[in-house]
Amino acid sequence: MPVRTPHFPDLLFGSAARLRRWEGALMGLLADHGYRELHPSLVLREAIPDGALRFFDGDDLVALRWDFTMALAGLLARGFPEPPARVAYAGAVFRRPVQPWEPVERFEVGCERIQPEGEFSTEADVELARLLMAIPGVLGLKSAILHLGNAALVRRPLEAEGLFSGLADEVVAALSRRAPHRVAQAMKGHPAAARVLAHAEALLSELDGPRTLEALKASPYAALLEEERDHMDRALKSLLPILPPNLELRVDLADVAGLDFYTGPTLRLWAPGAQQELAAGGRYDRLFPDLGRPWKAAGFCVRLSRLLDLAETRPDLFEQPS
Amino acid sequence: MTPHTLLIAFPKGRLGDELVPKLAGTPLALDAEALRSRVLRIPTATPGVAALLLKGTDLPRYVAAGVASLGIVGSDTLDELDMDLLELADLGFGACRLSLCAQAGLTLDDLRAKPHLRLATKFPKATEAWLTREGLTAELVPLSSSAELAPLLGLADAIVDLVQTGSTLKAHGLVETAVLGRSSARLVAARGAYLSEPARIRPLAELLIAALKPKA
Repeated sequence: MPVRTPHFPDLLFGSAARLRRWEGALMGLLADHGYRELHPSLVLREAIPDGALRFFDGDDLVALRWDFTMALAGLLARGFPEPPARVAYAGAVFRRPVQPWEPVERFEVGCERIQPEGEFSTEADVELARLLMAIPGVLGLKSAILHLGNAALVRRPLEAEGLFSGLADEVVAALSRRAPHRVAQAMKGHPAAARVLAHAEALLSELDGPRTLEALKASPYAALLEEERDHMDRALKSLLPILPPNLELRVDLADVAGLDFYTGPTLRLWAPGAQQELAAGGRYDRLFPDLGRPWKAAGFCVRLSRLLDLAETRPDLFEQPS
Repeated sequence: MTPHTLLIAFPKGRLGDELVPKLAGTPLALDAEALRSRVLRIPTATPGVAALLLKGTDLPRYVAAGVASLGIVGSDTLDELDMDLLELADLGFGACRLSLCAQAGLTLDDLRAKPHLRLATKFPKATEAWLTREGLTAELVPLSSSAELAPLLGLADAIVDLVQTGSTLKAHGLVETAVLGRSSARLVAARGAYLSEPARIRPLAELLIAALKPKA
């Protein structure tokens, strides 16, 4: 029986000071790179999603900000005829936890790179990856791992086979578990079963190392995904020479987290031994068009609450402040 | 054992009884003396790697929370709990069916015809999913053990439970009336450990697969 007791953590002296310090340092880094802060209201103005924390204000149902990207998208689509190219944010979001140990109130710092329709996106994606690469150093992490993925590697083959919702969700859930046998089970009897299973096996065959992108060549959808493969290859060639010490760069072809949201490259930051990713982001080009704006966007979010927990439970992963 | 000892969660009970002999003679063989004692944290033949012996329904939580980096658990338990973890392989052993079972003489149509069907089960999620697929409604009676008694004593009309050989059912005068799904042992991994330390976790996962999965 899952535990659903809401978890509202209080931050005591050390953690409160660390949050203040990290927020300041990260926002400083983003400001240095031209990202200007926007601070959407703590009260949500858009349609209230299931996961939001809701209250009654008199007879009115209100919800607290549950996701900065969504809150910012609403703000930008409502008030800006042209998008600002770079925005940053810091603060708390309130979300009902999926796992019992997750807090309801979560502290985040993040940024978004927004572009008009038609502008080439590779440089923006690399810019975000470079920024994310600087973050372990800012936070004092002794070492970290940056995973590069691409949501299109799964999304496009499923769309090409005409697989949407239902069966597609089962395949994505199986890939999220890294379980090719579950892909086979889900696709049993479907005309595309052999192709989808071969693709899943190609995506799951390598987690890192030089052969990772090569694994895509074994996929029946290799030709369909040539553009994505080239994009990842170019990103690797741009990023590897400037990799900071103590940061590993890995390719994760089977990254399907947030697949209903991300449309292209994805980024995830891990620390060795951490149980959850510490920052995550990617390209989500469908968000603004769905709000009536022909803009493309990508961004990432640093999950400060997870970092605060990690600093308490695994202080050995951090440099000690002098 | 150091704080950095890597923990693998093994199930107690039926799956564990099948698993322990398969590991004998491998680098992950469990320490025989510790196994005979009542301790639940058992050294293995590989320094720095220890086993936790856990109840199947608790095991996925230890792995999802990253306490144990790897684990072995039945797919029936995984499907019931739906925890966020990786499922690296179907190990094949421990195969059984999740079945609707009723007293001999009662058919599925007899059960369908009941105006108020009561089903006792340890697997409410899988049972609900099957009822939805079949267009049926039923009152679910949640149980945590000895479900076979429920139809005999009038607690329920039938049960949904795991069936391996069928001998327990036979002993209680029950028969399978429908198969809802199949289950087998799965190798699971903590998402964080596997993605952030693949060089540490993958070799152990491969060892477990080599020791436990029947060769094709």
